[in-house]
Amino acid sequence: MGFSGYVLRPMGRTIRQFARSFIVGKPNTVLYPYQKLDLPPTYRGKHTLDFKRCIGCSNCVQICPNDCMWMEKLEDPELGKIERPGVDYARCLFCGLCVEVCPTVAIHHTVEFELADRERSGIKFGPKELRDDAYADKVLEERHKRSLPVLDLSKCTGCEKCAGECPEICIAMMPIEATGKQKPEINLGKCSSCGKCAAVCPEAALKMDEVYESYFEMLEPKLKLVNCTGCGACARACPADAIYMMDMPGTERTLKDGKKSKPKKRAVFVLEKCVGCGKCFRACKFDAIAMPGVKA
Amino acid sequence: MNLYEFCYGIIHWLVDLVNNLWYWLGDVLPWWFGDFFDAVGDLAASDGNLAVMTILLEVIIIVIISLVNVLNFIWLDRKFMGRIFDFYGPYYVGYRIGGWLQNIADGIKLFVKEIITPAKADKLGFLVAPVIFVSTSFMALSTIPLSPDFGIATNESGDGVPGGIIVAFAFFAIAPFSILIAGWSSNNKYTLIGGMRSAAQMMSYEIPMLLCVASVFLLSGSFGFEGVVGAQDDIWFAIPLALGFVVFLTCLAAEVEIQPFDLPEAEAELVEGWTTEYCGMRFGLFMMTSYLRGYIGGALATALFLGGWHGPEIIPGPIWFLIKAYTVFVVIEWMRWSLPRVRVDQILDLGWKRLLPLAVLNLMVAVALKSMGWF
Repeated sequence: MGFSGYVLRPMGRTIRQFARSFIVGKPNTVLYPYQKLDLPPTYRGKHTLDFKRCIGCSNCVQICPNDCMWMEKLEDPELGKIERPGVDYARCLFCGLCVEVCPTVAIHHTVEFELADRERSGIKFGPKELRDDAYADKVLEERHKRSLPVLDLSKCTGCEKCAGECPEICIAMMPIEATGKQKPEINLGKCSSCGKCAAVCPEAALKMDEVYESYFEMLEPKLKLVNCTGCGACARACPADAIYMMDMPGTERTLKDGKKSKPKKRAVFVLEKCVGCGKCFRACKFDAIAMPGVKA
Repeated sequence: MNLYEFCYGIIHWLVDLVNNLWYWLGDVLPWWFGDFFDAVGDLAASDGNLAVMTILLEVIIIVIISLVNVLNFIWLDRKFMGRIFDFYGPYYVGYRIGGWLQNIADGIKLFVKEIITPAKADKLGFLVAPVIFVSTSFMALSTIPLSPDFGIATNESGDGVPGGIIVAFAFFAIAPFSILIAGWSSNNKYTLIGGMRSAAQMMSYEIPMLLCVASVFLLSGSFGFEGVVGAQDDIWFAIPLALGFVVFLTCLAAEVEIQPFDLPEAEAELVEGWTTEYCGMRFGLFMMTSYLRGYIGGALATALFLGGWHGPEIIPGPIWFLIKAYTVFVVIEWMRWSLPRVRVDQILDLGWKRLLPLAVLNLMVAVALKSMGWF
């Protein structure tokens, strides 16, 4: 050490760096407005929203830790009355939870990061500004996708053929309380995506469909049958079409003129399709749906 | 033709031109008005007035040249530092000339900033300190000629200030006092510590530096720039007095207060050191002057050790002088961006235990060379 260690070696080091960045090559820095770095595809920048994939479940809005997203009601010529999220980048911390929680992988981060604006309203992006229907198909899928049977309960007759066909014995016929019918309940964890149930279904009520796996534990709605009036508000609110209204036989009342009224209805949940958004819970005016853990 | 004669010619021509007006007025106007304007013309054409105006013009020329050099120095420093630290340095302001205009942009920014005097500061000291700092630096500058023909001279022979180097070092060494005044009068603990450190630092570097200068005086037998540089016609003093040159450069870095010896304004320890309370163009003046001191230091090292304006005839003398001064500055900057700051006790240690014996040794070498009759 001494003179050479404290003076000469550092000076030699800096002059080598000088030669490397001036004579031999160029400095390491990027001249930003004119040169740009190639960002990695997993970079979390501005969002894009695929309107056709998005089902408007508002899971992204609920999971956002900074409360920077909101749902906006829109009238789309193609899709009709829809609800889609917007993002306020003044508050967004780019954590990526909205992308992870999306059940249909409709929302993505892009590599665009130049979001600065002169006004606060300029960095508030509504769903129309975020819309890019082509983006989601172009990027590499990160989420695991499975081909799973999806039940359309309105077509199902409860014939038990699917339960008999399933090689993994993961379909069980469960009776639906107070309706006298039964529906197949599929244990998705055991399902091997063989497609035999869909092939055997005489009414084409079971269809194989690509379903994204969720990283999150989903909340499950539970019906309190006593309170249910059969109004159907939950079925209309459900973004995933997981709620069906079914007649309850034996509840017809005799009207004044002697005719019988229509039977009362109840909601039936197909929990395999549920995305756990809690919209049914919020839509129910009669406290008939319990959903522990959901935001009011 | 030297600078004095050049300026004298310009001033003489200007005075003659204006005197036409005064004498014409003296002819036209009635009695005592005419006498008055005749007297004005006579005064303007007198020898004393011409000499004063000539020296003023010389000073203006030298100051403009050195200020342009200062802009170059700041630019060079930033670019050099940038390349050492693997980035570009100033780039966009003045894109085609390598970001040179960035200094001017910074200067404009400093001009439009508010100038605040702290409420509890000693107003007189606070105002006087920058004046002393800047003016003494310019005075030191004024003694330095770029060549025998290109310096501030007081008569037609073109000789500079007699004993110019002594005068330059005297003015150069006043700055720590202004730093002490600034630090004390700002009424802030950081500035006070900075000012005290400056005084302590001066104790350690001034004596070895002046001993090195003394060795040069001994070899050249002159106190003036012309004599010292003229003695280096055959060989630069940096070669026989290599030890002294290294000691001198080290002390010079301490004198112009750059890292590793920028104890008075140690950004890591004292916020901005003794300039903490100065803002706006006052700070700009300090910063400009610190680079001006870098230029003066480079010029002094050039004149004392590197043969001044001597060089192949292809390039004129003043350009040689500037090239050498820039080289010295770049070497000092290289040291600045490579080495960490020393502690207060370390600089005293360095000054008294290392540099002073080396300087004495260097002086003995100079005495030996002189007594052998080689110089």
